[in-house]
Amino acid sequence: MLDVAKMAVEAARRAGADFADARAGIDETESLTVRNQEMEGIDRDTSTGVGVRVLVGGRWGFAATSRLDDAEVTRTAELAVQIAKAAQRLPGDPVRLSPVEPAVDSWRSQMAEDPFTVPLEEKVALLMEATRRMQTVPGVTFAEGGLDFFRRSTWFASSDGAAIGQVVTQSGGGIEAVAVGDGDMQRRSYPNSFRGHIKAAGYEHIRTLGLIEEAERIGREAVDLLAAPDCPSEVTTLIIDSGQMELQIHESIGHPIELDRVLGMEEAYAGSSWLSPGDRGKVRYGSDLVSITADATLPGGLGTFAYDDEGVPAHSTPIIVDGMFQNFLTSRETAHVVGQTSNATSRADGWSHLPLIRMTNISIEPRQGSLSEIIGDTDDGIFMMTNSSWSIDDKRINFQFGCEAAWRIEHGRLTTMYKNPNYTGITPEFWGSCDAVAGREEWVVWGTPNCGKGQPGQVGRVGHGASPGRFRGVQVGVR
Amino acid sequence: MPGLIGPDRFREVAQGALELTGVDGVEVLFMHDWGGLTRFAKSEIHQSIFREDTGIRVRVVSHGRVGVAAANVATPEGALKAAKSAKELAEVVGPDPMWPGLAPVAEAPQVDGRYDETTAGSSPESRADAVAALIGRCEPGFTAAGAYETQAIEIGVANTEGQFCWAPSTQASLTTVINGGDGGSGFAETFGARVGDVDPEAIGGRASDKAVRSQEPRALDAGVYPVILEPAATVTLVGFLAFVGFAGRSYVEGRSCFSGKAGETVVGANIDLWDDGGDPSTLGAPFDFEGVPKRRVSLVEGGVFRDAVYDLRTAKQAGTASTGHGLPSPNPEGPFPLNVFMGTGDATVDEMVAATDRGVLVTRFHYSNVVNPMESSITGMTRDGTFLIEGGEIVGPVRNFRFTQSIVEALSNVSMIGREAELASEFFFSASRVPALKIEAFNFSGVSDH
Repeated sequence: MLDVAKMAVEAARRAGADFADARAGIDETESLTVRNQEMEGIDRDTSTGVGVRVLVGGRWGFAATSRLDDAEVTRTAELAVQIAKAAQRLPGDPVRLSPVEPAVDSWRSQMAEDPFTVPLEEKVALLMEATRRMQTVPGVTFAEGGLDFFRRSTWFASSDGAAIGQVVTQSGGGIEAVAVGDGDMQRRSYPNSFRGHIKAAGYEHIRTLGLIEEAERIGREAVDLLAAPDCPSEVTTLIIDSGQMELQIHESIGHPIELDRVLGMEEAYAGSSWLSPGDRGKVRYGSDLVSITADATLPGGLGTFAYDDEGVPAHSTPIIVDGMFQNFLTSRETAHVVGQTSNATSRADGWSHLPLIRMTNISIEPRQGSLSEIIGDTDDGIFMMTNSSWSIDDKRINFQFGCEAAWRIEHGRLTTMYKNPNYTGITPEFWGSCDAVAGREEWVVWGTPNCGKGQPGQVGRVGHGASPGRFRGVQVGVR
Repeated sequence: MPGLIGPDRFREVAQGALELTGVDGVEVLFMHDWGGLTRFAKSEIHQSIFREDTGIRVRVVSHGRVGVAAANVATPEGALKAAKSAKELAEVVGPDPMWPGLAPVAEAPQVDGRYDETTAGSSPESRADAVAALIGRCEPGFTAAGAYETQAIEIGVANTEGQFCWAPSTQASLTTVINGGDGGSGFAETFGARVGDVDPEAIGGRASDKAVRSQEPRALDAGVYPVILEPAATVTLVGFLAFVGFAGRSYVEGRSCFSGKAGETVVGANIDLWDDGGDPSTLGAPFDFEGVPKRRVSLVEGGVFRDAVYDLRTAKQAGTASTGHGLPSPNPEGPFPLNVFMGTGDATVDEMVAATDRGVLVTRFHYSNVVNPMESSITGMTRDGTFLIEGGEIVGPVRNFRFTQSIVEALSNVSMIGREAELASEFFFSASRVPALKIEAFNFSGVSDH
């Protein structure tokens, strides 16, 4: 497949491209879903193709095809050149690429047990038993479990001489219990909502999840929620678990630090950012306890790789240090705006898409203490677990999140359970109110496999290391 | 540019899978799509792409056990390989007690005008010229961002029951946000089956006008206001109601806000909603992804909830027939309507404004999501043109609001309905035709800074 990528690059250069890179790729997925001990869906998918990106006269063109014969690859490369030339019909500043040393390399993500070779019978049996255990809890209406496996093989070549092969394997699983009654429906998920906990790992990750062991507890909590009162509406102290912290980071930090959003390149669709290019080192994003790092070398992260889709080696970049904003996520095209070279965040949703700035593994640095110690140190407040809903404005300022379950904190102890909890806030005010972040022992590398961005729509697979955190003066129970 | 593969070649490809032996049934879903998208920002083309892909998705049934495998190939050999993989998956699972069988033979209606050769063959040069025309409507100090997309897709379904259907369609959409000056932005879009219906100068003009009028928005307190929703905002309410209310699986399982309410008045008597994938004024194929012809389904009639939509499996659960709303298998979420229509009224937006003493006009919503599906409550933000109305006139722009609102309650308070409906899309694959609405009470739960 590297030959296919090289052929595309050579054809593009012959057609007049000043610069070209190409990615030939194979995406493989396997997915299983069980509900109430019955198979809801079991499927495999494979997608193969090549995409070629060119610069002609400072303008981009991109074309992709699933047909890999020589004539079609050549035709696709020529079409990319035609597209770039068409873009010149409008005036504009030419693209300036930051330099990168062309790499010749190959790399595979860490994996102990290939999930695609684990017998299907074993996977099915795991989900059957997990759902059976949830069903032993009276009141559980639906007991669901799912496993997802993903492998992306990419061969990258550029007219600068880069030739890189990478294989990333990711595995994930989760369970959820749903209780329905009296016109109400409540849900509890484990280890996280929306298909569970997915990591760059093999089947060994699935074996550590404890899907069977936690099944009955999840079932009981779903049933208990049906009888619980609604989360009250008040301004209070909020503690969120690491799973909710993951999405809080993703939406209110991960997206606004993308430099393409800051520059207006996503303005009409996903939106822009409340940050400006000149804000590095000047804007207070959060309290002194808030330090955020973008690290594409983090073991197990969905945003972990050796090279991004422009062939730039993986970086670890400080984003927020002790509350002060320091760096954006950049690409070869955008880095010059802030006087830097790319910090390797340009990735595409497979061979058929143009690379965009995407989060790598955007993580909050752990501080100290356990979740129970933070709760124990809280006189009055609300503790929320497990995301159920999210919404944020086009500049990533005003957000609102829903969670699956919450508990009142009274004198350092969890007391009344609440259903339908949610909270809202303004990004810098919320992070500025953070006065506790739990330590390394609570820190989990979560995966977000469904991050939407770009036109045509692309789905990004990104990671977040997160610990539970405490925030003061938060509006909860939004009606 | 690529062209249609066509029904004859699709039949040959599908046959490779349909001849799989030792199974009860095989279904082949075929999709071939191609198209270009020219994206612009700061009034420059910054991303411009073309892509073509072909996919087959094979569902195999063996002794009531079901497996699915997919690949992006279009050969009989590739189809057979996928079928064998699906059979392997089916053999490790238990029988599906609700397995309804594959779609029986039924002729799908022919709908004229869904496929346009000019749209299918659109060039990057023609899209660039259209973008230039749109940008030309920006006032000095303003710039445009957006995307012009032209797509073609052919879909086919064949199964061992003898059902065979195939249909091509095209789509052209032009969307823009114009901003600049002292803050504030304006949005406009058009969405249809033909590039010939796209008027880039008109889209640029509408967005430019809104951007100019959106300058220096002032903060208004959160609270309950009368609102006027333009069609691009109405479609958010309709799109989410399709998901939390009319989806067959959640309806039969008691998880829909309309479960158990058939025949009951659920919204205002002036509200009519139906789904009709066969209507010439909407988009897509006239059959679903299981090969069942799409039927017109009355969802809400005179404010009374009538029924949800079904695929083969949920129809069996409900004891009825599929309405032709199956999505690609496997699909644990079940079906939901993709071509919703809302009945029109007799008002213009100007007349709604004139009839409003104090309220808010909303151009569109952004990043909405479900808060409580059983209450049909959702949250989201306003965006790109939010205005205060006082004394029957628009008096100026306001900062964007967050809303947290039950859709059912909102549709119970509709006092005026637009006389024109526009095609708009809240989710991928969906195309709803909806009018502007005046809603007497709408809950803005928060305010942003812009």
